[in-house]
Amino acid sequence: MGSAAASEPLLLLRGVGKVYEGEQPIVGLEAVDLDIFPGDFLAVMGPSGSGKSTLMNILGCLDVPTSGTYEIKGVPVTTLSPEALAAMRNREIGFIFQVFHLLPRYTALRNVELPLLYAGVGREERARRALEALRSVGIEDRKNHLSNQLSGGQKQKVAIARALVNRPSLLLADEPTGNLDSKSGEELMAILAQLNAGGATIVLVTHDLAIARNARRIVHIIDGRLVTPEEYRERRG
Amino acid sequence: MNPVEFFGVAIDALRTNRLRSALTMLGVIIGVAAVILLVSLGQGTKNYVEEQFAGLGANILIVTPGKIETRGGPPVIGATRHKLTLDDARILEKKGYLFGGVAPVVFGTAEVRSGSRSRNVSTLGVTPEFSPVRNIHVEVGNFVTDSDVDAKRRVCILGRTVKRELFGNANALGQVVKISGARFRVMGIMERKGVSLGFDIDDIVFIPVRTAMDIFDTDALFEILISVRNKNDIDSGKELARSLLFKNHNRHEDFTITNQAAMLSSLFTILDTLTYVLGGIAAISLLVGGIGIMNIMLVTVKERTNEIGIRKAVGARNRDILLQFLLESTTLSAAGGVCGALAGTLGAGAIRLLVPKIPVEVPPWAVVLAFTFSVFVGIFFGVYPARKAAALHPIEALRYE
Repeated sequence: MGSAAASEPLLLLRGVGKVYEGEQPIVGLEAVDLDIFPGDFLAVMGPSGSGKSTLMNILGCLDVPTSGTYEIKGVPVTTLSPEALAAMRNREIGFIFQVFHLLPRYTALRNVELPLLYAGVGREERARRALEALRSVGIEDRKNHLSNQLSGGQKQKVAIARALVNRPSLLLADEPTGNLDSKSGEELMAILAQLNAGGATIVLVTHDLAIARNARRIVHIIDGRLVTPEEYRERRG
Repeated sequence: MNPVEFFGVAIDALRTNRLRSALTMLGVIIGVAAVILLVSLGQGTKNYVEEQFAGLGANILIVTPGKIETRGGPPVIGATRHKLTLDDARILEKKGYLFGGVAPVVFGTAEVRSGSRSRNVSTLGVTPEFSPVRNIHVEVGNFVTDSDVDAKRRVCILGRTVKRELFGNANALGQVVKISGARFRVMGIMERKGVSLGFDIDDIVFIPVRTAMDIFDTDALFEILISVRNKNDIDSGKELARSLLFKNHNRHEDFTITNQAAMLSSLFTILDTLTYVLGGIAAISLLVGGIGIMNIMLVTVKERTNEIGIRKAVGARNRDILLQFLLESTTLSAAGGVCGALAGTLGAGAIRLLVPKIPVEVPPWAVVLAFTFSVFVGIFFGVYPARKAAALHPIEALRYE
C-alpha cells in the first residue's frame, strides 16, 4: 500500500469531525486524520451509515467539518465562504456520483461543459475542452445525445468526462459502479486506473471490497472513525 | 460566467416547459395589454374633450349676469339686480386695454322658416366681434357688420345644419327667411364646426344684437364674451373686467366672470386622474400576473432541486444560481411585456377601426411604462424563488429526487 512519494500532501485532514446538530446531535465523523498525496488512488471502504458519505462530502467541499482542520494544497477549507467553496469545487474537485447526476435535458457535450461555464471559460474553448474530455473516456461519438438517452455506462463515462474537464486536483468517485452492470463497472474501473496511471489523484468511496481492490490504498471507516483492517474485519464479522 | 450565457440557460429552461411558460406569460400579457388599453382610452377621452374645446380659445372670459353666492342666507336687501347691457359691453370695450375683443350676446330660441320648411333654432344676437372672439367664421357671404347692428338690420347668418334643413343643396345666400315671423335676408353661411359636447354649433342662426333685442323684446344680454389679448394676462384681465363692471353697476357685484381656461384645466386634471386610475386598476392585473410568475418559479425551483445541486457541485456559486432563476422570471415577464405591448397597441387600433366612436389614443409613454413595469414585476416576484434556489444546500439538493 505505497502512496506516491511526494513531500506535500494534496489533501490534509487533522482531527476532522462532523456533528449534525439537532434535538439529538448525530456524530457523522470523528477525529479523522488522513493525508492524500498527488497521484494517490485511495479507496474509502465502509458499510452504509459508516460516515463514508460524510467524509466524501467534506473532501469534496460540499460540506464543512464542525471540528478539526482540512487543507487542500495548503489552503484551509474550513474557513472558506460558500462562494470560495464553490470556486474550490469548480477548480480542484471532479465528482463522479453513483446516480450520475447529469442534467437530463442537456446533451453529453453540454453536461461536460458545465464546470467550464462556471469557470468563466468562453464558448468555443469550452466546447473544445469538453470534446477532448469526452474523447479521453472514449465517448465522443455520443456528444450530441441527450444524457437521458444514454445507457448507464455511457452516462458514467460522460460524468467522468465532466469531472475531468476542468483538470481538477482530485477525482472523487462515490460508489461509481453502484448503478452499473458488472461489465460496465469493470470498464469504468479500468478507466479510473488508467487515469490514475496518468497522474490523476482519485478517492473512491465504496462498500464493495472487489471495487476497492482496484485502488492502491484502502482505508476503512466505521461509525465515523478510521479503523485498522483488522478491526474492520472483526467488526464486520 | 457572463449574463449572455445565463440568458441562454434561461431560454432553454423556458423552452422545455413551453405551455407552462406561455400560460405564465399570459398573465403578464393581459396585464400589460390592459394597462395600455385603459390608459389609451383615458388619453383618448382627454384628447377628445380637448379637441371639442379647442375652438373656444383658452383666453376667453365669460361674463354672465347674476352672482353665484358662496355664502348662504337671504339676498342683501337693497341689492338691486342689474342686467348685463350693451352699455356694459361698451365700457369693457372702451376701457379694457387688455382685451382683444368684447362680444355681447343675446340668446333666444326662434322658429326659422323658409317657405314650407321650418325649424326651431337657437338664435344668437351678436356683434362683428363675436366671430374673432369665438373663433368661428363665415364660409360664404359676410358676418354681422357694425352697420347691421347700428341700423338694426334684419339680416341673418345661418349655421350649416340650419342651411341644409331649410334649403338643402340650393343656394341660400340672399334668400329671405322668417325668424319669429319677421323677414330676414340671409347674408352668410357659417363654416362647419361640428358637434361640441353634444351641442350642435352648426344648428344656430346669427343676427345683429340690437335686432335680436327687438325680436326677443329684451335689453338684457345673455352673456358677454371677452378675449384677452395675451394669455398670461388672463387673471389681470378678469380683475380689470370685474372692476369696470363693478363701477358701472353702482358698486354691486351682480355678475359672474368665469375663466374658460381655469375651468378647462380643472376638467383636464380630472381626466388625467381618470387615466391614471384606469392605468392603476389595470396595473393590478399585471401584479396578479407577477404572482403567477412567482408561483411557477417556486414550482420550477422545487422541480429542479437536483439540477441546482448538480450545478453547485460542479462549481456554481450562490449568485450564479440566483442570477439564473432571476433571469428566467425576468425573461418570462419581459417576453410577456413585449407581447402585451403589441396586443395592447393592436387592440387599441382594432377598437379605433371597429368602433370609431370610442376615442382611443395610445400614448408612447404608456407602452414604455407598461413594459418597464412588467420587467420589474418579473424581477420583484422572481427574487424570492431565486433566493430560495440559491440558498439550497448542495448536498440536500443533490439528494433530492
